[in-house]
Amino acid sequence: MWGLAARLLAAARPHGTARPHGTARSKQKLFSTSSVLSKDKDKSTASKDSPPEGAAKKQEDGAETPKQQLLDIIGNMKVEVSYRKKLQQLKASENKKQAMNKVEGLDSEGSVPQGITEDTQRDKPLNPELVKAASAVASSLPHNKKQIESELLAQLRRHEETTDKQKKGGTINIRNVISEMTVKRQSPAQWGVRISGRISLQDEDGRRIRPERSSARSMDSRRSLKVGRRLNIFTKASTEPEHALKTVSSPTIWDLEFAKEVAAVTAQPPRNGFEEMIQWTKEGILWEFPIDNEVGMEDDAEFYEHIFLEKHLEGFPKEGPIRHFMELVICGLSKNPYLSVKQKVEHIEWFQKYFEEKKELLQEI
Amino acid sequence: MAARRAGAGCWQRALSLGLGRRCRLPRGPDSYRSSSSSPALGKTVDNSQVTQEEIVLPRRKTWDKLAVLQTLASTVNRDPTAAHYMFQDDPFLMPRNAANSRLYSLSKESGKNAAKYIIKNFPQYFDKTFAEPNIPCLMPEALTPQTEGMSEEALRERIHLRMVKESVDMFDQLLQAGTPVSLETTNSLLDLLCFYGDGEPTPEKEPEEKEDLEEPGVNASEQKAPKRQFQRGSRSSGPRWRENNHAERIFKIIPERNAHSYCTMIRGMVKVKLFLTAGGFSSAFEISHSQRLFIFVFLQHGAYSKAYDMYIDLLNERHKADVHAFNALIRAVPYLKERFVERWELTKDLLTHMAQQKVQPTLLTFNSVLKSLRRCGGVGRTMSLFVLKEMEALDIEPSLASYEHLLSVHYKGVDAPSSDIISEVLNEVENRNFTAQDPDDANFFTTAMQVCCDLKDIKLAYQLNKALEKGDNWKFLDVDRSNGYWSKFFSLLCMMEQIEVVLKWYKEMSSSLFYPTPKNILDLLQALDAANQLEMIPSVWEDVKQLGFSRRQDLLEEFLSLMSRDQHPSEIQLAFAKCAEEIKAVHEPAGPGQVPLEWTGSALGHVVVLFSRAGRTQDAWNMMEHFQKINRIPTDKVMDEFLNCAKQTNCPDEAIKMVKLAASLGLPLSQRLKSRTEEEFELSETQKKALESIKWDGDSSDSDSDSSDSDRE
Repeated sequence: MWGLAARLLAAARPHGTARPHGTARSKQKLFSTSSVLSKDKDKSTASKDSPPEGAAKKQEDGAETPKQQLLDIIGNMKVEVSYRKKLQQLKASENKKQAMNKVEGLDSEGSVPQGITEDTQRDKPLNPELVKAASAVASSLPHNKKQIESELLAQLRRHEETTDKQKKGGTINIRNVISEMTVKRQSPAQWGVRISGRISLQDEDGRRIRPERSSARSMDSRRSLKVGRRLNIFTKASTEPEHALKTVSSPTIWDLEFAKEVAAVTAQPPRNGFEEMIQWTKEGILWEFPIDNEVGMEDDAEFYEHIFLEKHLEGFPKEGPIRHFMELVICGLSKNPYLSVKQKVEHIEWFQKYFEEKKELLQEI
Repeated sequence: MAARRAGAGCWQRALSLGLGRRCRLPRGPDSYRSSSSSPALGKTVDNSQVTQEEIVLPRRKTWDKLAVLQTLASTVNRDPTAAHYMFQDDPFLMPRNAANSRLYSLSKESGKNAAKYIIKNFPQYFDKTFAEPNIPCLMPEALTPQTEGMSEEALRERIHLRMVKESVDMFDQLLQAGTPVSLETTNSLLDLLCFYGDGEPTPEKEPEEKEDLEEPGVNASEQKAPKRQFQRGSRSSGPRWRENNHAERIFKIIPERNAHSYCTMIRGMVKVKLFLTAGGFSSAFEISHSQRLFIFVFLQHGAYSKAYDMYIDLLNERHKADVHAFNALIRAVPYLKERFVERWELTKDLLTHMAQQKVQPTLLTFNSVLKSLRRCGGVGRTMSLFVLKEMEALDIEPSLASYEHLLSVHYKGVDAPSSDIISEVLNEVENRNFTAQDPDDANFFTTAMQVCCDLKDIKLAYQLNKALEKGDNWKFLDVDRSNGYWSKFFSLLCMMEQIEVVLKWYKEMSSSLFYPTPKNILDLLQALDAANQLEMIPSVWEDVKQLGFSRRQDLLEEFLSLMSRDQHPSEIQLAFAKCAEEIKAVHEPAGPGQVPLEWTGSALGHVVVLFSRAGRTQDAWNMMEHFQKINRIPTDKVMDEFLNCAKQTNCPDEAIKMVKLAASLGLPLSQRLKSRTEEEFELSETQKKALESIKWDGDSSDSDSDSSDSDRE
């Protein structure tokens, strides 16, 4: 039986919530537009005596201007309202328990007391503190004091009415409102799943947010990197003497460490073998590329002078055993990296002299 | 292999370029063109023009030692199927998910550190010069001072070797002996002390690891663990400025001070090894953020105001501060003043002082200004643009850090941001090749991508991506940052792009550029769902298994609910059922030490539905029995699907069992199920009897509890 009851309840819930859905949403919208209205009005009153930026600054400073008071009071009021709402909700849930099967009828029931309380509410005077603050605002302005005050109070009254209205209507649906909110937050993530739902939500969102956003836009649209003024603190100066000074002093530990830190920003692990080889080259681990035969060119001799030594054999006979011997000699010399070109030539010359000296002896043979 | 082949072509090109350059042909642009085309062609053209032209061959060409390698490296593209190059030494150690990749790269790095540690601490075993020519970076550094005795020379050497304690001792001894120490040496000692804030320099992470080795037993006691971790946290956060440390003491006792002495003191006091913003590291420590914040502010506040006092002293002594000291002071501003306007006023004052003292600001000055404007709320939004204008007027090119601060000022915590600023920034960034100039440069790309995500602007994200691919800009993303960057980009893609484009990117990026996070997978699933491509799910599930997310409850739920939501063609249903079986396996005890996941009611229901639709009646029934074990109730849909399955596979026994189950749970549906079973199945006599005997009391075997329940009702 208990299981059955639970299932009944579970089955009843979606039906119960489905209908108030729409009403809750519209109420929410009402409420929010009213708050925007009040905000707008606030701004308009503010703009009369000072630019909005100034007002914002004053708020930041926390100076207790009458305007500020008014804002505070409105803020407090909202809190109070929500608290009352909560109480109401508790009551409503009690009601629900008593008439569990009549969940659907509750809406119509709720509408009866709503009308009554609304009437009483209308006559109820506004919070005296609030009235005082409103008149203070009005008196701070240069003209039309009476009119402004009455406008302010009328606005406040309207505000209170709407909140009350919502309080009555919205009590049952407070949970729906909350769940709506969570849905909204998820909607960007669950983009695809709820496209249709999201579009309709967005629609309402747009209407709600647009006034605020447009004001923010107008502030932002002035912001651009291209236009605007500069600070005008520094002047561009050629600072050559200073540079000269800087180069003289040796780098301090600060400079060294800063350089290291900056280098570390772009020091990423290599992405392929070649990059790794670049890193190794920089560290001095790898032979430098290209590996060519230009190493040692500094001692003023090209590699071919080291290797092609035939030209030094002109003084020798064109053929015969001496020629053969000398060819072997230069072959050996050309492979010897440890001798300089000069030494190699001297070596050949020694043989030339030697064979010159022994010429007669050789001819005898 | 592909790289090598690609490289061959490049060799040729490099060679031809080299040869071309060797012949300097003084006449006319034509010859130049010819020389750059190919060596052979060049020769023929030369022959035709011949004669008077004098060809001057340079005796030798100086090569940049990296030119060839850089050319080669530029021919290699990223392989979308492979992990990062650093893992390719060993195929066995190829990471498949973010955790492994982190572990492996850290292991590799710590291996290197261990080797360095050995070389550094036991240089006596490395006295042979193996390499010819010698490779200095592989040899132990000479860390012992060569100069003996007490002299300024010896002190200077110790300062140079960064031996903090020895330097201080030597300085004291010299002073006691009455030996004068030159101002220059004293200043470099102050530099050293201020930089390390009294602690010994601790390169690498050795102290942390040593600490772990020293007290392995402590790990177990939970009480001590947080404390120890905090100690570690504070230590790794770098030096702190202590009251009356050596730097302050020496600063007080030295007879003469110049501007440098003051400036280095200021820099030392402001220097903060960010213990706050180093989020990546601090997340490893178990103290909460607010705790850390509190301690941080508490520790640092004193030093900041001291730095400012030091600056006032410097002014009183009629010295001029240098640009670094000003930079440090500007960075300290948010900690000196509470209110936004006051902060900005102080910053402006400092800048005016700079101008008065004829100190030319640098890029870092303005980056410091922008950085402190990040903590100035709405004031920062207006002023940051003025600062950028000022930079432009002074011909100082903003670095990536400047832009990063700018973006953060304009987009962090702003309700309805417009995309004006970021698109302008991206237009600027796109056309420039950046080199690192500021340590904060590294944050630009992640911050910018975050802004793109917040604005949900895929076009901006593509533009940013293009800027990242330009030149060496990718180097600004280290491994962690690039993971963050790509995962944000991917989420944005999933949200805004066509599914084909998303999948193309996914194939390109996944596991070669970054490892998707669980959130990325959820985004991908939603994108698939939105595009009605649920048949892709099994392949995504394969990836998820590889990524090591197969035990993430939220992911599993999403998978199951998407798979079981609609009816699909049979082969897709079979693939889905396979996934469901694997998900089921995660919930069952596998090996020793592996705790199975807890079933949730909905997950069970989804699995039953998936098995039923694939016609695996027996598996589905096994899952049905789990409901009773975990005290959950199957939904109507689940039971209907099961009955359909039993009907299709003609298993009246299972159907009867199910009716029995429904009845024992006391579900209102059981009557309907029973009548359905009677109508739709061809039941044998015994089966009919069994079905009849279920009734409301349940049958005799497991009726006891049920019947007593019904009695109570």
